[in-house]
Amino acid sequence: MSISLEVGPIFRTQLRNKLGVILIALQIAFTMTVMVNAVDIIQDRNAKMASPTGLDEANIFHISSFGFGESFNESTVQDEDINMIRALPGVIDAAIVSAVPAGGSGSSDAFMSEPDQREFTTNAAVYRVDEHAVTTMGLKLVAGETFGAEQVRKRSNSEALGADQVVVSLAFAQEMFPGAALEAVGKTIYDYENHGLRVIGIVEKLQSPWPNSDWIVERSVLIPDIIIDGNTTYLVRTEHGQRDDIMLEVEERLAASAHERIVRNNLSMTQSRAELYRLDGAMGKILYVVIATLMFITAMGIVGLSVFGINKRQRQIGTRRALGATRAGILRYLLLENFLVSGTGVLLGAVLSIVFNMFLVQMFDTPKLDWYFIPIGMLVLILLGQLSVLGPARSASYASPAQAISPSH
Amino acid sequence: MLQMRNINKRFKTSFVQTYALQDFSLHVREGEFVTVTGPSGCGKTTFLNIAGLLETFDSGAYLLDGQDVSHLSDFERAKLRNQKIGFIFQSFNLMPDLDLFDNVDVPLRYRGLGASARKEKIEKALDAVGLLARKNHLPSQLSGGQQQRVAIARALVGEPRFLLADEPTGNLDSNTAAGVMELLQEINDAGTTIIMVTHDDSLASRSARNVHILDGCLQSDVENIAPAIAG
Amino acid sequence: MFLYYIRLSMLSYKRNPVLSSLMVLAVAVGVGAFMVMFTLNYVMGGDPIPQSSDQLFHIQLDYGDPADPASQPPPQLTYRDATALLNAPFPYPRVATSKFQGVVEPENTELNPFYIDGRGSTADFFKMFDVPFAFGTGWDSVADENQQQVLVLSEALNLKLFGGENSVGRVVNLAGKSFRVIGVLENWQPAPKFYDVNNGGFSRTEEAYIPWSLIAGQRLQRAGNTSCWAPRTDNSYEAFLDSECAWVQFWVELSTREEKQAYTDYLAQYVAQERAYGRMQIPQDKRLYNVREWLVKQEVQPDETRILTALAAMLLAVCLLNTVGLLLAKFLGKASEIGVRQALGAHKGALLTQHIVEAGFLGLMGGVLGLGVSTLGLKGAKLLMGEQMNIEWMQLDPAMIVVTVALAILSSIAAGIYPTWRACSISPATHLKIQ
Repeated sequence: MSISLEVGPIFRTQLRNKLGVILIALQIAFTMTVMVNAVDIIQDRNAKMASPTGLDEANIFHISSFGFGESFNESTVQDEDINMIRALPGVIDAAIVSAVPAGGSGSSDAFMSEPDQREFTTNAAVYRVDEHAVTTMGLKLVAGETFGAEQVRKRSNSEALGADQVVVSLAFAQEMFPGAALEAVGKTIYDYENHGLRVIGIVEKLQSPWPNSDWIVERSVLIPDIIIDGNTTYLVRTEHGQRDDIMLEVEERLAASAHERIVRNNLSMTQSRAELYRLDGAMGKILYVVIATLMFITAMGIVGLSVFGINKRQRQIGTRRALGATRAGILRYLLLENFLVSGTGVLLGAVLSIVFNMFLVQMFDTPKLDWYFIPIGMLVLILLGQLSVLGPARSASYASPAQAISPSH
Repeated sequence: MLQMRNINKRFKTSFVQTYALQDFSLHVREGEFVTVTGPSGCGKTTFLNIAGLLETFDSGAYLLDGQDVSHLSDFERAKLRNQKIGFIFQSFNLMPDLDLFDNVDVPLRYRGLGASARKEKIEKALDAVGLLARKNHLPSQLSGGQQQRVAIARALVGEPRFLLADEPTGNLDSNTAAGVMELLQEINDAGTTIIMVTHDDSLASRSARNVHILDGCLQSDVENIAPAIAG
Repeated sequence: MFLYYIRLSMLSYKRNPVLSSLMVLAVAVGVGAFMVMFTLNYVMGGDPIPQSSDQLFHIQLDYGDPADPASQPPPQLTYRDATALLNAPFPYPRVATSKFQGVVEPENTELNPFYIDGRGSTADFFKMFDVPFAFGTGWDSVADENQQQVLVLSEALNLKLFGGENSVGRVVNLAGKSFRVIGVLENWQPAPKFYDVNNGGFSRTEEAYIPWSLIAGQRLQRAGNTSCWAPRTDNSYEAFLDSECAWVQFWVELSTREEKQAYTDYLAQYVAQERAYGRMQIPQDKRLYNVREWLVKQEVQPDETRILTALAAMLLAVCLLNTVGLLLAKFLGKASEIGVRQALGAHKGALLTQHIVEAGFLGLMGGVLGLGVSTLGLKGAKLLMGEQMNIEWMQLDPAMIVVTVALAILSSIAAGIYPTWRACSISPATHLKIQ
């Protein structure tokens, strides 16, 4: 019997068993809808989580010191600390920074190309750093240069900004000077309080402290400006493989130095990044569990219903065997039958997936489905259906022809 | 006891309409033992289903114990079945997951009796078929003959006025079948009216009254004044 | 009869243990997952202070840079406006509050100095937000005016510093100053943290509370968001306080419609007056938001929970479709039994009840197992969320337990209706003959 000959009768049989078919097909359709959209969300989150900050992340950590008490002289302590850290074997470089890329907290400012031109501002993350920042972060300069020690100004909160130079990210330069990003070097930009800052260098990539939001993402500026407010963060880059040891050593040494201060937030970039993307990571894991559960339930449902359907037709199958159907023939018949049901399900599932995706895009700004998700999802669920029915079908195909003749079960 | 007058029952498919029973009339008196015979598909099972209030009919009149049952609701029919009719089937139809006690209990449950009253009746019925000692066994632990005895106990536990049996010996070997027939005869002797469908001509010819159905019509209705003519 | 049906359900379970267990599992997973999401949604999208959420109003003023009219007004108040509103001639309870950070130097030298998140607030904070005290009380408006160095400790900080005993009257060195403890809170973690959603809608509450006037008065280190939309005149602290920088959360309690109207009018008048000075150039049509409105406007509920709820609903649907299919298989498989029962005197109603009870029984088992699934799910969610967030509420309370089991039973019964009807409407005669 050729397959094409079987399709017709199977299809007509299925039409008679409407509800059973509808139930399985609907289950498959829903499962496919959830699976396809969940995978789409997972992919989007994973891409976000994997987007690099532009730093040599694997080898960088940061640690903060908060001074208290009357005798605490932050400026002196900073010099002492940073010199100690830089001198440690295995440390490539270390810098004082006001915020850590992908660290979750920091500040932003709005910049203008002319003073008081407030209708055209470009927001950017502001990193107030010393002259070691570019090498410590491992940033790649695509134009100009970075600032030297003589450019760095230390000040208290109540003093005005003294620095007059700035290194910017390429993304910021593109936004500020569309079409002439690299020519930004030498131009002056103005912060929201109209301080002029001359762009002396452009780095290829530097994310904001909040790259998980769609707000600023990669528009950043580095200003040679250290604010003395009690709180100092050191960013340290180490030789490959030595990060964890040096983290411990730096923390011990800072804590041991006889100052009234608290050492805290000693985290590798890997750790602070994981914390920043925790919700995205959690979402992905939950979605994987949802997908696995759904597929399991659907598969079990198909197994259950096919066992039932096959038991009901034990006699019929026996009769077919008695009339000369081979084991393979029975198996093929049952697989084909399942294929037709699953096929109906995934066709419906394709439509539902797209509709549900439109709903998600509309309501939650999730990404649109890539077209290839649909055929892959269809294929996966058809395979799932075939695998689920394989067990029951195999045991059915072993039914002896004698069962057709025996009077009761 | 049972009176059918001009009963018609049609089965319709989209193409054809066939008569299962046509202009069928029969009167069974209290205490009779009637066998019903006929070839496969002649309508004898339909007759039994209608007699047992399991199926409705299209036209005609059916008086059961003097009561017209043609326009009863499902609820009233169920009540009549429960109180006046006992059923015995060819394949016993015991419930596989209930033990003998619980199987016999089923009709009493639908009668709303108290636990002690039920227990008494069940044990009496099981005792009557000689299976009281095995009341906690499952049907699958019994032989075919024993299962049919349990089914008979179940049919009798509610003390029905008449018993409908659909080839009760069809699945049994001849020795066991003879035992079951003896039991049925005892029941009939005790006053219960019995209508039994059978394929077995020898059983039919030995019964007090035999009704033969052909193509949905009553073909013959023979009363043997002296039963058990040599066969 | 009900108990008889329950017993039949149990026997029927034993007859097809695999099929029945599949159903129980499907119901458990579907209901369990749905309840996890329902709990998350219920709390995250819920009302953290239901007794007065419609009387507590957050104030939004006409902030923003007029050169950039597309800008969203920042959700906090400037120091200048907060002070003005505190002094407004109304008897209504009101609170200005903001975060600070500082180092605690314990007198107990076994403890190293440590860093805490603190909150400055005016006196009405504790009463307006129903903050529960274990010991002592909050402060009064005199303490606000005189910048008294008094302190209310959280339960956790009191445990750390004083071993959990009544520490009222003790002294705490915080941010280089001595504070006298006047109150200790019970555990208090509203979720969402409605009174300050712009610093994390589900972050933990602060560990120490002091009069708000101290933050500016003693120049404590402020924490939390600060948004500015105009340059300052100079870098002095006074200029900052007077600047267009918003960093203060401000709430007012208005109990009646009349009070709300009076306050709305007052705000309109205040804004008009400030506009005349050249401030507040971006008009807002709504300035008072009650708690629920504010949580919605600030989009406190993460999209994630809502997406997951939609997915969980579909998961539940699949599980129920699954149950419908399996129940159909199971009940149709019992067709001959149903026929026999009819012959023996069961009317349709009795059979329908029997099978609905059976579906409900499977649902009950699924619900109980579903409780386990929910508990596991919430544990997993907690693990994934980490300790940064306030996750104490992520657990099944008695109400949720009842809802879970009820949902399982009801949805199983719903799933059982069609299969029951199908199985019981087969003519009994069909199944009594040879099978």
